[in-house]
Amino acid sequence: MSELILEMHAIRKEFPGVLALDGVDLCARAGEVVGLVGENGAGKSTLMRVVSGVYPDYAGNVTIGGSPCRFRSPREAEAAGVAMIHQELSLVPAMSVMENIFLNREPRTRLRMVDFRKMAADARSLLAQLDTPIDVTRPVDAYSIAVQQMVEIAKALSRDARIVVMDEPTSTLNDAETDRLFAIVERLRASGVAVIYISHKLEEIYRIADRIVVLRDGKLIGSATVAELPPDQMVQWMVGRTIDQFFPKHACEPGEELLRVESLSVWGGDGHRLVDDVSFTLRRGEIVGLAGLRGAGNSELLGAVFGRYGRRALGRISVRGKPARITSPHDAIRHRIALVTNDRKAYGLVLPMSVLHNITLASLGCVSRFSWLRPRLERAHGQRLRAELSVRTPTLRVETNTLSGGNQQKVVLAKWLMTEPDILLLDEPTRGIDVGAKAEIYRLMNQWTRAGKGIVLITSELPELLAMSDRFIVMHRGQVTARLTREQASQEAITAASMQE
Amino acid sequence: MRTVSTVLVVAAALACVLGCSEQEAPRGSAENPFVVGMSQCNRGEPWRVQMDKDIEDAAAKHDELTVLFKDAANDSIKQQGQVREFIQQGVDLIIISPKEAKPLTQPVAEAMVAGIPVIVLDRKVEGDNYTCFIGADNVRIGEEAGKHLVKLLGGKGKIVELKGLMSSTPGQERHDGFMKGIKGSDIEIIFDADCKWLEPEAKKEMSSALQRFEQIDAVYAHNDPSAHGAFLAAREEGKGRQTSIKFIGIDALPHEGVQYVKDGIMTATLEYPTGGALGIEKALDILQDKPVPKNIILGTRLFTKDNVDKGGEAIE
Amino acid sequence: MGDERDTLPLDDEAAGPGLARRLLRQRGLLAFFVVFVFCLASSPRHVRTRWPLFLTLDVQKSILYEHAEQGVLAVGMTLVILTGGIDLSVSSVLCLSAVLFATLRIPVGFPLILALPLTLAAASAAGAFTGTLVSRFRIQAFAATLAMMAAARGIARWISHDEKISAGIVGQARRADPAIFDFMTTPLVKHPLMPKTMTLIFLACLGILWIVLARTRFGRHLYAIGGNEEAARLSGIRVAWNKTAAYAICALMAGVAGIMDCCQLRQGDPATGIAYELDAIAAVVIGGTSLMGGRGGMGFTLVGILTLGYIDKLLSLHGVGPAGREIAKGFIILVAVLIQVRPRK
Repeated sequence: MSELILEMHAIRKEFPGVLALDGVDLCARAGEVVGLVGENGAGKSTLMRVVSGVYPDYAGNVTIGGSPCRFRSPREAEAAGVAMIHQELSLVPAMSVMENIFLNREPRTRLRMVDFRKMAADARSLLAQLDTPIDVTRPVDAYSIAVQQMVEIAKALSRDARIVVMDEPTSTLNDAETDRLFAIVERLRASGVAVIYISHKLEEIYRIADRIVVLRDGKLIGSATVAELPPDQMVQWMVGRTIDQFFPKHACEPGEELLRVESLSVWGGDGHRLVDDVSFTLRRGEIVGLAGLRGAGNSELLGAVFGRYGRRALGRISVRGKPARITSPHDAIRHRIALVTNDRKAYGLVLPMSVLHNITLASLGCVSRFSWLRPRLERAHGQRLRAELSVRTPTLRVETNTLSGGNQQKVVLAKWLMTEPDILLLDEPTRGIDVGAKAEIYRLMNQWTRAGKGIVLITSELPELLAMSDRFIVMHRGQVTARLTREQASQEAITAASMQE
Repeated sequence: MRTVSTVLVVAAALACVLGCSEQEAPRGSAENPFVVGMSQCNRGEPWRVQMDKDIEDAAAKHDELTVLFKDAANDSIKQQGQVREFIQQGVDLIIISPKEAKPLTQPVAEAMVAGIPVIVLDRKVEGDNYTCFIGADNVRIGEEAGKHLVKLLGGKGKIVELKGLMSSTPGQERHDGFMKGIKGSDIEIIFDADCKWLEPEAKKEMSSALQRFEQIDAVYAHNDPSAHGAFLAAREEGKGRQTSIKFIGIDALPHEGVQYVKDGIMTATLEYPTGGALGIEKALDILQDKPVPKNIILGTRLFTKDNVDKGGEAIE
Repeated sequence: MGDERDTLPLDDEAAGPGLARRLLRQRGLLAFFVVFVFCLASSPRHVRTRWPLFLTLDVQKSILYEHAEQGVLAVGMTLVILTGGIDLSVSSVLCLSAVLFATLRIPVGFPLILALPLTLAAASAAGAFTGTLVSRFRIQAFAATLAMMAAARGIARWISHDEKISAGIVGQARRADPAIFDFMTTPLVKHPLMPKTMTLIFLACLGILWIVLARTRFGRHLYAIGGNEEAARLSGIRVAWNKTAAYAICALMAGVAGIMDCCQLRQGDPATGIAYELDAIAAVVIGGTSLMGGRGGMGFTLVGILTLGYIDKLLSLHGVGPAGREIAKGFIILVAVLIQVRPRK
């Protein structure tokens, strides 16, 4: 049994009015991957913030490599060998890769100036270990999120971290990139680093972790090895109740044609087509699963139907049997189409605005008369939707950026629900949401189809896509490569179709 | 938080009220001097700095008088506000040298209505709702300048006129007077511009004039800084025209215009007295209920190379 | 990382304390309160009665009157800044409007009922033009409005031949100044509480646009565009149209201010208004509206206008020269910005 690198004992952390952690224990050995799971609000992030020095005042003990520690700042934690890879990467976008890796610890020449050559060489060797041979002098924002994540890991490695904490590292990665990340985790494990891996994706936990620690409402519910802990047991620990089905799905008889798309193409900035001559239909009561890797054009397809690309999109769209001219989101909304984008912070929400204002943002016509707003009516609608989607927020007046990711996503859904759409285009609607909330949303999707709406769904978690959709369309490089029925569909079939030419 | 703010407000209120008390000594004495508000339109002009200084020096000789100076930085709206502030502050008398006539007429009228006498220096306001105006006769000065120029050039020549702010009375009058002075001669004004009394403006305008015209015999500038600016422009041109062109200005401040004449930069200048000292004298008269004339026209002197050491030649 | 935000106590503003406490927590308002008390305490006094001048109605009315013009500019600027933009051309549009109004009224001789709307229409057109440049042609607001700044003043100087436009010859008895000059600069009714008409117009503009921002769809659109333009667009808001409207209204306010300027100076002056745009931006910034857009509002701007107004009047009453006043203004802006720094999340 390898040595115990990290021991956290009876950690208790209070905030005014709430007990975030109530006597939690966590251990990790050298070369061990510990999966830390729990719903939103369970205390995972708080616990990791204690380890990484963000919260200096807490009750309990933290021991690293045998010596008791109490970090007063993240810097101290870093110096002791704790590296944190956040969900929102902490890189400086305009600075080069190597400068980011060695930020604030640049190697110096004898004249106390920065030694760029050494920095570049060191950076290159670190990235080589991670199988990412990129040009370290280019700015880091020139690279994809997956590569940026490698840079972040290289940063951790350069500090000779003994403990690496990863918070939802694969939420923005596709399958191939996820595989590469896991290979890195293996390598870290092999070199004796303890890895704490936080994720909502349960299959990943099972794939990569040695042990699983489950928190709920700030308390440690249980800790067991992967072999000892079957998935439903884990979920039960997480949620406190049994969930009969993860993805409740009911079959529905598809009705009249809601949406018909013919020969839709979208041109990208450099002349090539993001969406290449795609056609499909959507009927009432059905869910069409749109699959494909990153860059396959499926998000762009939904955007084009929604009028997001204006004149850069060409093709014919008919809504409810009648031809429709959609050149802007404004047009789309008038045709009762709604689009939930895959990046709520960038495209889905106006973060400085209140929750209420965000909910009503696409339906201001309903809460105003001739441009004069009616606050009481607005609040009534807001309360109604908040209840319908169980958005957790103390009041509707707080700024949306104070909400957790899951609840922010619910606000986005509430906004679109309020427009009473017929056609819902959902692009990763459950990204960053915990299991309990995910089930809620899938239940809602069933409600909607029962009510006669049509849904086009994109989600990178294939099991969910397979469970929810009635039909499948697979895309690759802007074109449709396969159309599958529910019977024909399987993970292998879809994956194969997403990669073929 | 609430206690802090309450304490602050109470403290402020106390501070205000405690300071109030009527003065015991009679007005116009050393213990309780008359307060005169002086509104200067623009201390950016050297002549006006001189005016303020003249006023300050004159006031220093009288214990029974103190002066509050305000500078409007060449902004008419600011000057309006300052006159109103003087009224609110309850001064005994206002001396004002307005930037322009139109905007300042109403504030001066408001002061008169409030019972505060107003002495207007140098530039006039419209109408006659003021107590006393002190200024030199700009028309006369312009005329003298014209006549002197006719003499200098032998009755014919091409000249440039660099005008002062034409929305102020001195600008208008120095132009009108000049036209009278050169009437009947063959002097031709080939170029003129409103330089707003400012040297940099004059320099800029003169530069364009020099570029456009081959022959320039003389420059008539409404004030010495403008004449000096024209001189600099000619010198910068590099063709040596600064010695061939005759420069005539107005103001004749001892360290400025008179010095320029001594140095040979300017051919002649006419004195424009600031009237500051006389302003204080008349202010005292008004405050002591003595009668003062409505308009006081000051005399002027002509300074040329010949008579500059003798203190110029007085003109009545 | 948002896991804990469900259970953590949220920002103060969420807890919902009483109105007074919430107002006090608005830092801009607090700063103005401090300024007000400071002005009271260090107020210069009446030469005879020794009564602090700040406690007189006349001085309070003067503060509003003398800052009415700048206030109107700041009110218009608030809309543009809320969308995340800026309008440097307001000073030049003010100048152009002043000159245009004077020209239409005096030399050209149009009656008021024609001159007034024409001037305001011209001003709005300038704003609509810049707005289109910014929203449809995607030119940076700074650059587009800088260009208009130069162009508008140039047109003003061209129309007026670089001379002031006024009625009657300077020096002679006042000749037929248009009646509106008097109308604007005197109170409607001779009552001590009645401010001059120009002040009323400023307050009216402030009030109307306050309501527009807070209670109309258009106002909500502006906040959304400033907060996240792309999200607003994807929520069905016609961003280009709304942004253009914001710039047009801002320029309209500059037009109103230009007419005010002309009435105060009793002439159309092609050299007026220089650097007024900076004062307008300063008032908005001091008040607390964020230059990034999406946060703030007309109440904030009012606080900013009053703060600047009070300090300026205090210094002016004390006879502090223009240099001193500029330094003070810079200092206040610095302090205001520092107070408003939001704690990093």
